[in-house]
Amino acid sequence: MTEAPRAWRSVLPHLGYDLPVDLTPEQGAGPVTATLPLELIRQSVSQREFWPVPEPVAERYRAFRPAPLWRARRFEAEIQAAVPIYVKYEGGNISGSHKFNTALAQAYYYHRAGFRELVTGTGAGQWGSALAAACAAFGLACTVFMVGGSLRDKPYRGSLIRLYGADLHTSPSQLTALGRDATGNHQQGNSLALAIGEAVEYARTDPKRAFCIGSGETYSILHQSVIGLEAIDQLAALGAEVDTVVGCVGAGSNFGGVALPFFAAARAGELPRPATLVAAESSTTPKLTRGVYAYDHTDSTGTGPMEAMYTIGSRYAIPPSHAAGLRFHGAAKLISAMRHRDQISALAIGQREALSAGRVFATSELVLPAPESGHALAAAARVAAGQEPDLASRHGVLVCVSGHGLLDLAAYDKLLAGLPEDQPADPEALREATATLRPVHPIEGA
Amino acid sequence: MTNRTQVTEAVKRLVVRESRLSVSPTAVADDEPLNGALLRVNSLGFLGMLVQLEDELDLTLPDDLFAGRVFTTVADLVDVVMDVTKEET
Repeated sequence: MTEAPRAWRSVLPHLGYDLPVDLTPEQGAGPVTATLPLELIRQSVSQREFWPVPEPVAERYRAFRPAPLWRARRFEAEIQAAVPIYVKYEGGNISGSHKFNTALAQAYYYHRAGFRELVTGTGAGQWGSALAAACAAFGLACTVFMVGGSLRDKPYRGSLIRLYGADLHTSPSQLTALGRDATGNHQQGNSLALAIGEAVEYARTDPKRAFCIGSGETYSILHQSVIGLEAIDQLAALGAEVDTVVGCVGAGSNFGGVALPFFAAARAGELPRPATLVAAESSTTPKLTRGVYAYDHTDSTGTGPMEAMYTIGSRYAIPPSHAAGLRFHGAAKLISAMRHRDQISALAIGQREALSAGRVFATSELVLPAPESGHALAAAARVAAGQEPDLASRHGVLVCVSGHGLLDLAAYDKLLAGLPEDQPADPEALREATATLRPVHPIEGA
Repeated sequence: MTNRTQVTEAVKRLVVRESRLSVSPTAVADDEPLNGALLRVNSLGFLGMLVQLEDELDLTLPDDLFAGRVFTTVADLVDVVMDVTKEET
């Protein structure tokens, strides 16, 4: 395979149902503004299946796509796999993760719509660095609020963001009322929800400035379909077949990107059989395995719409984890709807198991995966080694390594120093955080 | 060609639906605020409504006409859509 896909593929026409409508928050009287390019809204709601990749985005894709896919024979041997394991690697771009696939697309659409600056919040820094580079590519200014604790652990993520000309602020910052209030209340700077809240507040100060986020939105998952589309072609070129596809889930864009093209292709009769799609989540944020299907906010500030999602509660206090990119309380509404109908499966992985799988992969395949990707590798290893009776694979497993771990070496240092397994989420705390959420009505979720 | 009456009727139908009202669209005045005492169209719902408007009127609304622009009344939206229909004809 020598070319990246020329079109993204939407799974929406193949679902057989509509996604539940968001519940928009009450807003005080006053004028309304368009804060998002219409093309992104169209991509989120339309039944159109193929969306041509705009040439300016395709040109940037050509620098790092097609992304490599290979059979990980040495990893298979290390984990005593009973079936082949194929790896799709998304770490080969400037951001070091799959996030760049949608960052480029979004920056292009916002620029075309006439916005001059994009503002975002970032936890691990992968999204922040992806957006900073994408904004530089399309001549947009960029402002990033990065979770303070994460920035201290990963200072070179901050360097990368600044290298691309973005304004970087440690969250909580003194730039926003939310940040000043959090600082005054001695709140720890370890919340992605707070960084996002600051970004939302700051973006509102100028109509040509837009808040932009890149994981759980349906359009983000569409842009990530390049991963799975390439993988299908690459497996075919190898004469290989898989019956299981695994990706890690924070909100769901990496998992959706690698897995949903397999769902669409199977529904369209293009694959010999449907694949089992396995979402690997962090056991610190077990929304798909232990959460409830309810309407919840996408961040703890409550400024965004309430979406139908599997959630552990937007106000649940997520414990620290090295898989910062997975520290999100809810799954994307698209991924959640598919989970609700048993169209996807899920496994929760602890960080010690994830980092251990990452270390085995690094030493066997000589590619260092991000801690987030370690969750997918651990889940893939369980399935390929026959340790998950309900998810048995007979033909092979495809796993997406969502990014490299070269800026996450502190996490591997802690593994080498004897990092203990994280504590499973407390059932009582989960019940408390979700008790007041409105369940998705059977008709809305039908 | 789409005329102003058709556009106005379509916009009023959609703002009534978006506001979850049971009133007749004809009861909505042209200068009615989009987000005020009667209509409750917020910025998030507004975008989805624009995509529905494209389907109803079979046209494509260019992004650069909307980004960063402030819409106060029903007529504000009708004016922009009319500009698009003129460009398309």
